[in-house]
Amino acid sequence: MKKESTLKTILGVWNTKTVIAMAIGAALFGVLMNFGGITIFTNTKLTTAMIIPVIVGSMFGPVPALVTCTVGNTIADLIGGWGFWFDWSIGNGVLGFIVGLLPLYGAKINDGIFKLRHAVIYVIACVIGNAFAFGVVTPILTTVFYGGELNVTFVQSLTGGIANVLVLTVIGIPILFALAKRNARNTNLTLDK
Amino acid sequence: MAGQLLINLIPGETTLHKLTGTTKVRFFIVLLVFIIMSFDIRLLLPLCILGIVGLLSMKPNWKVIKYFFIITGVMNLINIFLFWLVDPDCGAIWCGGGSTVLYQFSGRFIITAESIWYLSVRFLKMMTSLVISMVFILSITPSEIAAGLYSIKVPYKICTIFSMAFRYIPDIARDFDNIKISMQVRGVELDSKKASFMTRIKQYVLILVPLIISSFDRVGNIANAMDLRGYGKGKTRTYYSEREEQKADKAAKILYCGLFLFCIYWIITKNIMPQPSKMWYPFS
Repeated sequence: MKKESTLKTILGVWNTKTVIAMAIGAALFGVLMNFGGITIFTNTKLTTAMIIPVIVGSMFGPVPALVTCTVGNTIADLIGGWGFWFDWSIGNGVLGFIVGLLPLYGAKINDGIFKLRHAVIYVIACVIGNAFAFGVVTPILTTVFYGGELNVTFVQSLTGGIANVLVLTVIGIPILFALAKRNARNTNLTLDK
Repeated sequence: MAGQLLINLIPGETTLHKLTGTTKVRFFIVLLVFIIMSFDIRLLLPLCILGIVGLLSMKPNWKVIKYFFIITGVMNLINIFLFWLVDPDCGAIWCGGGSTVLYQFSGRFIITAESIWYLSVRFLKMMTSLVISMVFILSITPSEIAAGLYSIKVPYKICTIFSMAFRYIPDIARDFDNIKISMQVRGVELDSKKASFMTRIKQYVLILVPLIISSFDRVGNIANAMDLRGYGKGKTRTYYSEREEQKADKAAKILYCGLFLFCIYWIITKNIMPQPSKMWYPFS
């Protein structure tokens, strides 16, 4: 198998397939954000939408996951009708990027490779991603956009982040294992001599 | 689920509906900058009133919209209340020092005139943002969003994501219903009277997994169909929904260009250069 360069893995291949996957991912993200979650705090939800970037990221790379999350959140705002929150859209995009780094540390879902080692790195990436996206990026953007009170944003970020980590690990890891197993079904053949 | 969508898929009849996608998207972006850049009631209140007038002119379905306004209003009120809880004297730094105490609960929890002013302007700002977003969402169709974004030099592959995602939402709704029905046939209880809340959540996750996997399985088919029609071969793209500019579009163009220049002027003079106080406060 040819080894791809790191930059190419990060950017992903922008062919029609990737564009469609991002579109479907964004649609699912938008719908799940609205109908597949429970509101736990102002502006914050325990939402199942968070597993979409994991799937897009694992199949197509981090930058497609970033685009999926950003567009998906904007679509969620469009169909939800609660006004636009671009600070959160971009925060979600950053989170999508970090969560979607899966192919970079060797978890190749397309080839059916997802082991316990990858699951551990994945969990760590989820925690760091949430901390960075909602602890740094979103508060900064909130201050720039709306001049917000940081304490409130931090409480929102904290609850949102914890909810996301829960969803990402509790639902995300089984899905990743299931996807890897599905794709691996035909590749564990050995040559008979 | 599809019935609850706020955005139209069919273009409407009123003047605001008939503007081109380019005009709507550009105008909306300028207005967002306009809302975000200041905490000045002299700018926000007229825009809020204009937004409501615009909303009225589109003759929307008030039953649906009322619900969104109430939810968002309550949400913002809770937010504002949290702001006050965290720092009861938050108005002081915004209105240029000084705090006129109106009422005192305890040593920490005081109500000052400045805080009331700041928090109510903030509430107005959030509601204006909601009204403007609402006007934008109700007046535009997904294809027009794609065309409008393309007109501000967003790569057309990203525009495609927008328009295609909206096309795909009815499919998601249909798949969801199908999976739900077949799960119920197999004995998964989803009736709120018969199953408890927690079990229903678990069962919705059971529906979600096939929904997500079957949706992503379709990627290959759609991609092949689009490749066969030559998608992604050219460097540029034209949009069927993008019409020629009418009179209203030309008027709107002058308006948003003027507004954009005003925004730049305001940001340079008020936001970048230091000011004695961060917001306009009439009673100091």
